[in-house]
Amino acid sequence: MKPAALGPDKKLRERSGSGSWYKEIWKHRMTYTLLIPGLIWLILFAYLPMGGLSLAFKHYKANEGIWGSPWVGFENFKYVFRDPTFMQAVWRTLYINIIKLVITFPFPILLALLLNELRMRKMKKLYQTVFTFPQFLSWIIVSGIVINVLSYDGLLNSALAMLGLPTINFLGSEKMFLPMLIITDIWKSTGWGAIIFLAAISGIDQDQYESAQIDGASRMQQIFKITLPNIIPTVTVMFILNVGGLMSAGFDQIFNLANAATQNVSQVLDVYIYRITFQSSTDFSFSTAVSLFRSLVNMILLLAADRVAKMMGGDGLFR
Amino acid sequence: MSVKAVKQHKYRVGKMTFLDYFLMAVLAVLALMIIIPFLNVIAISLSPQKDYADNPMMLFPRHPTLDAYKALLNDGRIVTGFLNTLKILVVGLPLSLFLTSTMAYALSRNKFPGKKGIFFLVLFTMIFNGGIVPLYLVMKSLHLTGSLWSVILVGSFSAFNMILMMNYFQGLPESLMESARLDGAGEWKILFSIVLPLAAPIMATITLFYGVGFWNGWYDAMIFLRKADMLPLQNVLRTIIVESSTNVSNASSVDALNKSGFSTGMKMASVFVSMVPIMCFFPMLQKHFAKGVLTGAIKT
Repeated sequence: MKPAALGPDKKLRERSGSGSWYKEIWKHRMTYTLLIPGLIWLILFAYLPMGGLSLAFKHYKANEGIWGSPWVGFENFKYVFRDPTFMQAVWRTLYINIIKLVITFPFPILLALLLNELRMRKMKKLYQTVFTFPQFLSWIIVSGIVINVLSYDGLLNSALAMLGLPTINFLGSEKMFLPMLIITDIWKSTGWGAIIFLAAISGIDQDQYESAQIDGASRMQQIFKITLPNIIPTVTVMFILNVGGLMSAGFDQIFNLANAATQNVSQVLDVYIYRITFQSSTDFSFSTAVSLFRSLVNMILLLAADRVAKMMGGDGLFR
Repeated sequence: MSVKAVKQHKYRVGKMTFLDYFLMAVLAVLALMIIIPFLNVIAISLSPQKDYADNPMMLFPRHPTLDAYKALLNDGRIVTGFLNTLKILVVGLPLSLFLTSTMAYALSRNKFPGKKGIFFLVLFTMIFNGGIVPLYLVMKSLHLTGSLWSVILVGSFSAFNMILMMNYFQGLPESLMESARLDGAGEWKILFSIVLPLAAPIMATITLFYGVGFWNGWYDAMIFLRKADMLPLQNVLRTIIVESSTNVSNASSVDALNKSGFSTGMKMASVFVSMVPIMCFFPMLQKHFAKGVLTGAIKT
C-alpha cells in the first residue's frame, strides 16, 4: 500500500491536499484494521446478496450462476404482477399488518403507564420480568404454547365449556385467524414494547411532577398533562419503525401458527416468497423479483414515515 | 433515609388510594394471563396422557411423572437439536461479539476519513436487503450450505446491535482512551483492556440479543441445512409442534397423535426444555438490558 511505504519524515513534508489525506488515513491505520472484520461480513452477507438482486432482471440458469445468467430486463416483473396469488399476498400482508399495528400499538404504552404508576419497586421489577419474558421465546415455542391453550380441547376452550359458554375454534377457522394473530401478538410483545416507553418515562424531568403536585394536580392529570406529552417523540419513532416493517412483519408468527385449515388466509408475502422459492418451484429469478419488490416497498414506507414524523416535528429515525 | 428524602420521591408520597389497589389488581390479572399458560404447559409435560385427556385445564400435575421427558430422550431428535444449537452458540457468540465490538468501537471513536460512508453502509442494511434467494445463492457459492457455518455466519452481525453498542461506547469519556494512547497503547489494546471492561451492561445486553437470536433461529437453518441430523433445536421443535399439529382443529386429534408419534405430554416437554435456558439466563441479564436499550435505542 502506498501510505505504508511512506516514512514518517516524508509524510511530514507533504503539504498538498492529497498528501494530508494520506496522512490522515495513515494516522488512523489501526482504526481501519478494527473495521476490517465487520466490513468483510457486510460485503459477504449483506452487499453481495444485494448485488444478487440483479437476478430479478435476469433469466436465472443454475449452471451460469448469478453473474453469468443472461439479462432479460423487466420480463420477470411482468410475470410477477400478472400472478393473482402475488397480488393477493401483497394485499393480505398489508391488510393483516395494518390492522394488527393499529390494534396492538397502544397496548405497550398503556402497560408502561400502568407499571409506572405502581408504587412498589420490587413488584415493578417482578412484573417487568414476567411481562418481558415471552418476547424472548421463539414463535415456535410460543406456537407450542398457543396451540396448547387455544386448540379445540385446550385450556381456554375447556374453561369456556366448563362455564357453559360456546367454544371457539381459534386455530382452525379462517375467520378467527386474524383475531388469533392479534391476541397472541399482544400476549408475546406487549411487555417488551413497554420497556422502551418506560425508559422514555424515566427520562422525564422529575421537577415537572413536583411542581404539578404543588399546583395540586391529581395523578390522572399528571399522566395526561406530563407523562403522555413527554413520551410522544418515542411513540412516534416506535410507530415509524412499525410502519417501515409492514411488508415483512409477522412472518415467524404467521408461518408457525398457520395450518392446513388456515392455509389460504395465512399466505402473506413472505410466506408466498418462501413457498415459490423452496417448495413449489425453483424459479429463482421470479422469486428474486418478488423479494426486490418487497424490499423496495418496505424502504419507501420507512423513509416516507420518517419524513412524516419529521414534518410533524418529531425526531424521526435518521438525523 | 430521612423523612424529607422519602417525601421528595414521587412514588412514595401519600397513602394507598383506590387507584393503587385497582392498579395492583389489573397488573396481577395481566401477569396471570402470562403465567397460567406456562404452568399449564409444565403440568401437562409432567402428567400421564390420561390425566390430560380428563382435564386439559390443569395447572399442577396430579400424578407427576417424567415419562414424557424419558420418551423425548429416547426419541433422540431433541437431544441432537440441543447439541447443534450449542455448537452454533459456542462458535457464534464470541464471533458475533468480536465482529460487533470491533466495528462499534472504530465507529464510535474520533473522526477518520470514510467514517460516515462506512456508517451509512451499516445503516443501509437495516433499510434494505437482498432477500433470501440471493443470500442462498451466495451461501451456495461459498460452499457453506449444508454446514452449521452458514447459520453461524448469517447470525453473527446485526446492524441494530452494532448501533446500540456504538452509542454506548460514545458515552464513555474520551480522556480514558486519550491517556492510554499517550502511554503507547494501540486501538486494539484500548478496545480490549479499557473499553470492553467498562462496557459490561451493553455487552450483557448484546450477548443476550445474539444469544437469543442464535437460540431461537430456525429460518436460516431450514433453508441452508438439509440434513436432519444437523438441524438446530428450534427446527426439531417445529417438527414436533407445528408440523404434527396441522389438524389440531379436528376432533380426531387422537389419530393425528398416533400418526406423529408425539403425545401431548412429549410436545409440552419439548416446549419446556427449549425455554429452560432462556428462563435461566433471562433474569440475570434483564437488569442490564433496560439500561443498555435505554442508552442506545431511542436516540439512534
